[in-house]
Amino acid sequence: MSSREPFPDEELRRRIMDFIMAAGQTLLENGAEVFRVQQTMEIMAKSFHLREFHVYVLTNGIFASAGTAEISEVRNVPTRTTHLGRVAAVNALSREIALRDMPLDEAERRLVQAQQIPFPKDWMQLVSGVCGSFCFSMIFGGSLKEGLVASVAGLSAIWYLLACDRKQLPGGFKKISCSALITLVCILLCNLLHSPASHAIIGSLMILTPGIAFTMGIRDFVQGDYLSGTIRMIDALLIAASIAIGTGLVLSFYTLIMGVTVA
Amino acid sequence: MNLTSTQIGELMIQFILAGMGTLGFAVLFACPRRSLPFCALVGAVGWVIYELLIMLGINNAAAALLAVMPLTLLARIFAISRKAPVTIFLLSGIFALVPGAGIYYTAYYFIQNDNALALSTGINTFKIAVALAVGISLVLSIPLPGWKKQ
Repeated sequence: MSSREPFPDEELRRRIMDFIMAAGQTLLENGAEVFRVQQTMEIMAKSFHLREFHVYVLTNGIFASAGTAEISEVRNVPTRTTHLGRVAAVNALSREIALRDMPLDEAERRLVQAQQIPFPKDWMQLVSGVCGSFCFSMIFGGSLKEGLVASVAGLSAIWYLLACDRKQLPGGFKKISCSALITLVCILLCNLLHSPASHAIIGSLMILTPGIAFTMGIRDFVQGDYLSGTIRMIDALLIAASIAIGTGLVLSFYTLIMGVTVA
Repeated sequence: MNLTSTQIGELMIQFILAGMGTLGFAVLFACPRRSLPFCALVGAVGWVIYELLIMLGINNAAAALLAVMPLTLLARIFAISRKAPVTIFLLSGIFALVPGAGIYYTAYYFIQNDNALALSTGINTFKIAVALAVGISLVLSIPLPGWKKQ
């Protein structure tokens, strides 16, 4: 009995639905756009002959029903990370499902594999954090000294974030304390090297800033997903506020103690 | 369009820096390893065009709009030739253009009670973000050869 029969029975329909929901959730959790998640899920449903499939995707949830609403599922996706490798893997899977007659068992196996693609190794994340913050502080007009300070700050920031992830600390605290750490490292080192700190600070803060979330929120608006766009933009603003609180705290304390203002 | 040799040299340095920076963040976003150089190229091209337009005296929202279009086009070309979703190249490629610093400064001035500066930075940031979003959407809706509705 092939899994791709044109009229799946009830048991099979349920399995197909679970598979499609899991695929959608994987895409959404790892940073795919709302409309693309919706599109991919619809294509998969069509390939597996799941009739009357309707889905509504938000930035943090998926609602879908199939048949005459005999199957309906809701998935809550509260946490989002960015793992584009998993997005690419699920995308490749959906492409293959559409192109050839892949049985459901194999598709399910491939999805589990895609979900388990690991994040880059710790040392690789550290190196890329150093590289990213160095380059961005130079791009924003910093001197070589500031670039070097930024790379030290970037290193400590990524190390701190990795440690936080291991302890599973809440996001807001993580962002506030990490931005405070970055600012502290930058001010102290820049004082030592006698150079202005502002470019070093912003270069390494790029690790935390929600620029992409903000832009993609507006892109959701342009696409007509007003609710998703709002969710994303408010999220981006809150992240920016936490970063500013962390940085602001350290800068105010520094001004209080040393009596000089640093920007 | 007259660029002095120092300006061209400056642009070359910016190209390399933007490429390296984008590469760093592409690794942090866990892009598939084989697409990394393409992500870096997309980011570098976008940033250099932006920087060139700024040098020519165009304001930064317009420059963002004009720079994000070739960037998105390049991302689409790579997406088709590498059979990968556009998102991979786009998200990592626009990292340099995206107004992350602007949002941060807006929130920072807001918290420091510098309301006028917060407002002007905020509006400027918003303009850049809208320009980027519109540019991306425009280019993504152009039909390309080899493009088919999935």
